[in-house]
This record gives sequence, C-alpha cells and structure tokens, in this order.
Amino acid sequence: MQASQQIYSSPKKTATIFLKNIVKRDKIIIANRGEIAIRIMRACRQLGLDYVVVYTEEDRCSGHVRAATVEKGEDAAFKISNYKDPNEIFSVADHCGATAIHPGYGFFSEDFRFARRATVRNRPISFIGPRWEVIRDLGSKINTKRIAKFLDIPVIPGSDEPIYSEIEAEALAEELFQKQREEGIKRPSILVKASAGGGGMGIEEVTHLDVFRQVYRRIQNYAKRQFGDEGVLIEQCMKDYHHLEVQLLCSRHKEVVHFGTRNCTIQSTGRQKRVEVAPGFDPEYVHYPFDAAKVLDEIVDYSIRLAKEVEYDNVGTWEWIVTRDGKPYLLEVNTRIQVENEISACISRISRQKGPVNLIKEQIRTALGEKLRYSQKHITFEGTSIELRIVAEDVKRGFAPWCGTITRFEFPQEPWLRVYTHVPHDEPYEIPTEYDPNLALAIVWGQDTEEAKIRAKDFLTRTRIEGEDSLGKPIVTNLAYLKQKVDDVLRFL
Amino acid sequence: MDINLNDLLRKYKSHPYEDHQIKVPHTGTVRLHVKEGQDVTGPSGQWRHRPGTLLYVLEREGNPKRMTSKYTGTVAELRTELEGCFVQAGEPVMVIRHRLNKEEIIDRILREVLYVYAAPQRARYFFTPEVAVAIDKDRAKAFNIRPGDEVLIMSLMKRDSLLAYDGPEGVLYKVYFKHGDLIEQGAPLLGICAPDRLPFVEKVIQRIRTEWDD
Repeated sequence: MQASQQIYSSPKKTATIFLKNIVKRDKIIIANRGEIAIRIMRACRQLGLDYVVVYTEEDRCSGHVRAATVEKGEDAAFKISNYKDPNEIFSVADHCGATAIHPGYGFFSEDFRFARRATVRNRPISFIGPRWEVIRDLGSKINTKRIAKFLDIPVIPGSDEPIYSEIEAEALAEELFQKQREEGIKRPSILVKASAGGGGMGIEEVTHLDVFRQVYRRIQNYAKRQFGDEGVLIEQCMKDYHHLEVQLLCSRHKEVVHFGTRNCTIQSTGRQKRVEVAPGFDPEYVHYPFDAAKVLDEIVDYSIRLAKEVEYDNVGTWEWIVTRDGKPYLLEVNTRIQVENEISACISRISRQKGPVNLIKEQIRTALGEKLRYSQKHITFEGTSIELRIVAEDVKRGFAPWCGTITRFEFPQEPWLRVYTHVPHDEPYEIPTEYDPNLALAIVWGQDTEEAKIRAKDFLTRTRIEGEDSLGKPIVTNLAYLKQKVDDVLRFL
Repeated sequence: MDINLNDLLRKYKSHPYEDHQIKVPHTGTVRLHVKEGQDVTGPSGQWRHRPGTLLYVLEREGNPKRMTSKYTGTVAELRTELEGCFVQAGEPVMVIRHRLNKEEIIDRILREVLYVYAAPQRARYFFTPEVAVAIDKDRAKAFNIRPGDEVLIMSLMKRDSLLAYDGPEGVLYKVYFKHGDLIEQGAPLLGICAPDRLPFVEKVIQRIRTEWDD
C-alpha cells in the first residue's frame, strides 16, 4: 500500500459533508460552450438550480448564449476574452454570485490547478468534478498507468513518464519495435503522443524507426505550442482492437456505481470519436471470438477497483482497448463528463427514480455533496443507444475542418431521438474558426442494436444541413460518412 | 505593380488620421484616468519601453491592471458611464484619434507596393520552426521565399497545417503579424518584394521620407 500512496494522495478526511437541501441554493457558472453548455443548462433546470453562461466574441451567436438569455435574461450570459483564462471565469463567478463551476469537457475540466484554485480561494466555489487531487493523479496518463500496474490492471506497453530527450525517446521506440517483431507482429508501429494532450489531439503513428525523430520533433513542437509542455509519450500502437469505455459514478460518500460500457471504436483519422454505441459489446448482435460478456465484466471490475483505490468521487470514464483476442488494456481515465455520456444514460434505468437518467445531473448532485440514494442493484440496462457526432468536416480530405456559414439545419423529431446543438435553426450561423466545427450530437435509442442502427440511419437520411464557405462552395459535413459507419458498430472488421 | 505615389500621398495628407477603438481585453471593474479631448501619448523610448499615458485601470480578481495608451492621439467617445462598473470582455471604452507619422505612412503605402500574402482563413499563424530561426529582425530582408515554400503554420480549429506560399518569388520585406496572433481572413501576413523591385521600393520610401512632414 505504501507504493500506491506515493503515486496518489488520499482525500481529506475532514471534507465537508453537504446536505441534500443545500443543492437548491447553488448557482452554477457554466464554463464551457456549445452543446455541452446546453446539456448542463438542462441538468441545472432539472435540479432547480440557477446558472449563468460565459461566451467569447466568436461564440456570440451560439445557441448556448441565446438559450441562457431567453430563459434567464441578459444577465445570464457574460462575454469573456477566452474560455481558457481562469481569471475570467472566477471574475464572472464572483460578479454573479456563482457558488459552483461546471467545466463541461475540455478547457478546465481536467485541470487540477483550476479545480484546486476554485476550492481554496478567498471565496471558495465548488468544482463540479472530482477532488483536485484525484484529477491531478488520474489526469496524468503516466500516473494512471503506474497506479494500474500497482493494482495488476493491464496497460499498454510504453513509457510511463514524459520524455523530453530525443535520444531517450528513440531508444524506447527501438525497444518497442523490437518487442513487436519478437511477438510476430507483421507491421509493428508505435504512437507518439503529446503528454499533456487529450481528446485524441497531438498523436501520430510511426511505422519505421527512421522517421521517428522527425515525428517526435513535430509532436514536441505541437505540444509546446498547444499545451505549453513539450513532454512526449511513446507506446506500442495497437492495431486490431475496439475502444471501450466504462462509465462510473462515485459520490463523496464512497459510493461507486457503473452505468455500463460504451464502444467508441469508430473514429476519424485524427482519432476523434464519431460514432459511439452503448453497450460496449453486444454478443446477441455480433459473434465475438472471445467471451464478450466476460470481458465487459472484467473491464468494469478493473475500473471499479481503480476508482475505489483512489477514492474517486464524481463521474469518470475509464478508457480501454480490447484486442481481437479479447485482451483488455487500460488506456486512461477521463476525470470529467464525456461527450458520449448520454448514450450510457440512455440505456440505463434506475429502479427507484422517475424519468430518464441524466448523468450530468448526477454529476452536479454528487459534486455538491449529495448521496446517490441508489446502488448498483437498482441500475438496469435496456436496449442499445448510438451517438452520432455531426461535424462540418471533409472526410475525403483527412477530416479537414470546414469553415463557413450554415444557412439551414433541420432534423426530425422522434421519441427515440435527442439532438443537442448550439447551431441556431432560424438564422445563419458562422462556424467559429477558434473551435472544432462540431455541429450537433444525436442520441438514438432502439430496443436492440438492429433497431438502433435503423433509426440512426433514418435520422441521418432526414437531416438537412445547408451552407457555404467564403468562396461560395457548399458546406461539407460528415453525414454520409456517419451513415456508412453505422453498419460497422460493434464489429471487428 | 505601378502606383500613383502622388495620389496616395495626397490622400493621406488630406486625412492623416486613424481612429483606434479601445476595448477592455477582459472582464473586470473599470476606473477611468483620462478625460474627453485629452491628448495622450503612446509608448516611447529606444525600445518603446516607456509606457504610454495611463488610460484606465481594469481590476479583476483583486489584480489591478494599468492599461496604457498604445497610440499617440486625442481621447474621443469616452464612455464615462462605465466608471466603477464591472464590464465584459471586449467592451469599448474610448476612441483614440491618432495622427499617422512618417513611418506609418511608409508602412501603409508599402502595402500597395509589395506583394501582400494574405491570411487564407481566420486563424492563428506561426512561422515554421526552421523559418522562425532563419528570420530575425535584422536578417528578415535577406530571406528569400519561393512558391511552394512551407513558411507558415496555420492553426485552425485546434489543427495545425502547413501553408505553402503561392505568391511570386521574392524577398520577405515585411511581416505583418505577431507570432500566434488570431488573424482575420484576408488580413496581410507577409509583404514580399521581387528582387528587381527593391530599388523602386527604396525610392518610394525615400520620397515619402522627404515629402512627409511629421
């Protein structure tokens, strides 16, 4: 146990226990943009909480700003210089009397310094996420790997600390190539990753040692520019695998439950997820060359083991890869709400709770100190849910982002469908070039995988997006790509 | 590229001013330190190390930030109603009417003489690491650019892409952007001068220096 204590810290035993009725008095500042801001607003509404949003000049026409001002008035939206400036967020929080910050995903969601600052400043504010110590310890892929190794949880071979020396990096790369050749892997390759990166950004594959240095330098420069830290990670590139996730929810009262698994294998060339499905495997729909149910149980058990070890206390996602022969490897832990949490919620039922599960609502409740009021035995799963990420990008040109103005955006309304978007329906919308060109998230539910697939395709067929760029060329989106990829869900191809 | 230098000089002489709107860079509480019609000065000194006139103080998170003038000119459209108020980022506070000086006139006119390579998208721009090393203030004028050279990185929607220069071959005469700044689509990035036009450019500069009276 002593070894583990060196890797991560224990929670303060004197942590304040909040009472259930305190929640209603809280006011949330939503420190994010786009569809996640809209989903947080919805969760606040369901909890009866007041909220304010922030936005930048580029986002002045975003739906999250309009929705907030329509519901709460002009004072519910504050223009800031940058979503990544903590002083801006705290300054607005103080001005409007916010008592808690929801960081959404990206930006400050996994920044332990921000979470720490929120809770230790003169006017403390609750950070809606895990304790800052947990974010620090699990936010680092390297540290997570060390903890996992300590708990006998399988991890991908590679570096377990950031590398700053080109010579050291090349030596490790050579070792990993050699190891793969010894294992009989025909086309060995490695991944070079920005250590401080996340969300699939700053990752490149190297298939030959002689181009390693060139890629290493490129990633190092990218990491320095984007994250201010030029540390690089190197690990074996797994080729034939599925990318799975385990959704956990933990409270500050040491309660741990899971909301099943997701399969996020369908990604763009830049490793950006595009189609996700829950559950992670469906043996009734696809035949797997391994016991899929057993593997799902294994990764859930491993995830819970790690969560309990670090006394995790909010929502979190344990990311896994599972190879064709059914071997799981822990990739990392995302100490935040994920884009794709909604599909897990969509197939989950809590026996003593009315209405659908909303994991963002649960996240806010637990961060404000509430108990779960249910346990794993009350959670059941029903059907299959598919998430489709609609993005303005050219899949034929390496998923290049498209910039321009959207003039028409229409999608069907169905009881089995939820669409979250910040793109206005009734006026032209210029996509800000400062951010990803994500347009909408569609969450489709079906009694089984086959029905979910049919409905997903139906949704994509009936969705209409029109627009043009500065040269008058029509908008390019990934709708056709998504439709094609729906057929691939849950299968090893 | 032929220009009518007389017309250009006449145009600038008839209205040698530029209005600069001063906006708060971030949120905070504003305390004004100037009055309507007051003359203010921009940074001065050999390295522009002496700050300009204090325009306002913006306090955020208990940290007062002294916002000084980057331009020499006269305060106009001062928004006195903002005194002591919490303002959002980008709120306009005042306008400074600035009279263009000789070097600025040269800069404006050179944009008409040089080949201007403009930003293809609204994005952040960087020189590639190799080019950044090669270009420093003193050596910039000796840096040659040929079509197809990958001199810039365009950072757009969190993705970096190399930009291949597609203008005429020439010497990098002027850099119009700061490393990593957000540049509007169509705004100038680089000013390129064909080697055989260098004497002409020097002549234009010489003539402005002679004829423009600060």
